[in-house]
Amino acid sequence: MIPISHYLILSAVMFTIGCAGVLTRRNAIIIFMCIELMLNSVNLTFVAFSAYLGDSAGQIIVFFVMAVAAAEAAVGLAIVLALFRNKKSVDINDVNILKW
Amino acid sequence: MSYTDAFFYFFAALTVGSALVVTFSRSVIYAAFALLFTFLGVAGLYVLLQADFLAVAQIMVYVGGILILLLFGVMLTTRVTNAEITTGTVQGLPATVVVGILLGTLILLVSRATWNVQESLPDVTGTTTEIGERLLTTFLLPFEIAGILLLVAIMGAAMIARSTDKTKEAA
Amino acid sequence: MQQLLQDTLATAPLGVTILLSLVVILLHSFVKNSERAQAMVSVAGLAIAAAAAFWTFPMRGTAFSGMVMTGGYASAMSVLFIAGAALTILLARDYLGKIGADFGEFHILVLLAVTGMMAFASGLDLIVTFIGLEVMSVCLYVLAGMTRGRLEANEASLKYFLLGAFATGFFLYGIALIYGAAGTTNLAAIAQSASARAQDPLFLAGCGLLLVGFAFKVGAVPFHMWVPDVYEGAPSVVTGFMSTAAKASAFAAFMLVFIAKFDIAHGRISLALAMLSVASMVLGNVVAISQTSIKRMLAYSSIAHAGYMLIGLAAGTPAAISGVLFYLLSYLFTNIGAFGVVSIIENEKQENVSIESFAGLGTRRPLLGALMSLFLFSLVGLPPLSGFFGKYYIFYAAIAEGYTWLTIVGVLTSMISIYYYLRVVVVMYFRSDTDATAVPVTTLGTASLLLSAAGVLVFGFFPRLITDIADTLF
Repeated sequence: MIPISHYLILSAVMFTIGCAGVLTRRNAIIIFMCIELMLNSVNLTFVAFSAYLGDSAGQIIVFFVMAVAAAEAAVGLAIVLALFRNKKSVDINDVNILKW
Repeated sequence: MSYTDAFFYFFAALTVGSALVVTFSRSVIYAAFALLFTFLGVAGLYVLLQADFLAVAQIMVYVGGILILLLFGVMLTTRVTNAEITTGTVQGLPATVVVGILLGTLILLVSRATWNVQESLPDVTGTTTEIGERLLTTFLLPFEIAGILLLVAIMGAAMIARSTDKTKEAA
Repeated sequence: MQQLLQDTLATAPLGVTILLSLVVILLHSFVKNSERAQAMVSVAGLAIAAAAAFWTFPMRGTAFSGMVMTGGYASAMSVLFIAGAALTILLARDYLGKIGADFGEFHILVLLAVTGMMAFASGLDLIVTFIGLEVMSVCLYVLAGMTRGRLEANEASLKYFLLGAFATGFFLYGIALIYGAAGTTNLAAIAQSASARAQDPLFLAGCGLLLVGFAFKVGAVPFHMWVPDVYEGAPSVVTGFMSTAAKASAFAAFMLVFIAKFDIAHGRISLALAMLSVASMVLGNVVAISQTSIKRMLAYSSIAHAGYMLIGLAAGTPAAISGVLFYLLSYLFTNIGAFGVVSIIENEKQENVSIESFAGLGTRRPLLGALMSLFLFSLVGLPPLSGFFGKYYIFYAAIAEGYTWLTIVGVLTSMISIYYYLRVVVVMYFRSDTDATAVPVTTLGTASLLLSAAGVLVFGFFPRLITDIADTLF
């Protein structure tokens, strides 16, 4: 039997890896992928708690997080595309008319 | 070590390993494919946690939807044929410090915390019915608002991504 | 069935706004060139939603199995968001035409953002809070980048989106840890057992992460880095809407979760709030001095105002909460007005927003000059304008709670702010204009500015109108 703390440590590690990616990467799409990693780690936390508490609410919350992730993906990529059309780059260091 | 434990360590290694590739790979395409394995690994962990329905939803929504969308983004915004597709990193040192502190705190917390949870997972034969019922009773309001969120996303994405030439036409 | 009907009626402002946005979507889809009609329908519909909010005001309670709050606080906040949206839509009519971005989607997104704000500010379950926040944020990401041919707007929208989604990650992780510690996401249930959990490190970490998410959304230092860029790059009317209604809803949810009725952290966060508040007031006011663009100046001033409101949150008494609510209302009228004047001064390319471009406005366009001065004086907090009473109530409540040092910082930084606000007034009245670009006359825009000015004056002369209501919200 795997204790719950294993799942939680795993998701904490995933969350920090995603966080590190957001802070260090320059490509807007990769930053977005790292945000997806963070959301996935949160989902894993919810499901682990849900299973060990014996309460299905945690799993339902994960559904809402998935809906949010999908909505953000659509809007985020549209924004990236609009930027690429004007600037021909998705590197956030090239995006600095407004001082980053 | 029972076979479920072995599965846990396998999926955990898959998830963390591919997450590291997403974060540190220099190629956007490699990162996108590594993300596929992260999503699959998380789906496997959901199965171990007896969230069967969620595991399927994870594969359909993340792999079938979000990842494909991301790949479209990669293809449309990078010239695949040249070397531009690799990307570098910035601000290594401050990020390492922040991330180190965050990870340390989280792991310390999790290992110190006392859990008021049961020691073994209850035997459930499927979560679909319960999730469906609660979504349309207790969670009716957030369910409806999530619908609005998706409407906003569709409209907003179409509005922003429409080409600029049509701007004048529409105005 | 009976229950469902009752719940729907009790959340009527939300329902009316959703129906209204569907009507506008249909109008947009099936009637060509109906932007003007859409704006008028939106404003009329918002008036109905406001009426619904007044009607539901006495129905204090919860609806949809304890998911949202109804009546009282929820209704009052709804009226605030509705007012912000209506003023914004009126201002936007001529502005969007001028900058070549007269899209019908604008109205729909503003209306849907209002529904998100209502859910965000009245959610009694962290899930509703979260989804409401996301509906609002996604609408704002799109609105910030709606002039999609313009690089500054793309950039503002991308930065807002990436940092916003990053903050969402923290917000959610906080909810997950709280769920794990308390076994539920319902605020009432969490509050019941909160005192037993005061030492639980997991619960406190969850509250901390949630606090980071909220601090990001209200734009408090050190989570403010997106504010200047987004406020500068977004179209001015959208900035006005973001800096007021969106900030108000973030503060409203912040108070509901952490302070007002469901004190989930039992006052343990007030020191953290005080720190955020000091950092925001000092940095916002000091950096605002050196800005040359009026939009960036107002953005830093907006960070500073978030700092003043955080004083009220740190104090956390009922008097402080009604002070913050008064401040939010006053700031809504004042800042929508100030950004409205900026939007009228701007030219077609959205340039002309340096402080210098206001030179001679006082003699060129006396009405615009007078209105801008009024808004700036209210931002300074000069009596008897509404901005003064906002600060007065918050500072008074903070001193009563023993936060005298915090109040002193607030007063000192307000002194600094006099310099950069009055500099604009000086430029308007004592500097002759260098280039005499004709500023177009806009009827609807001016009407909206006059309404905002009326708000600033009326609530300044009769602050009891609001505080009497604010004291009876719970």
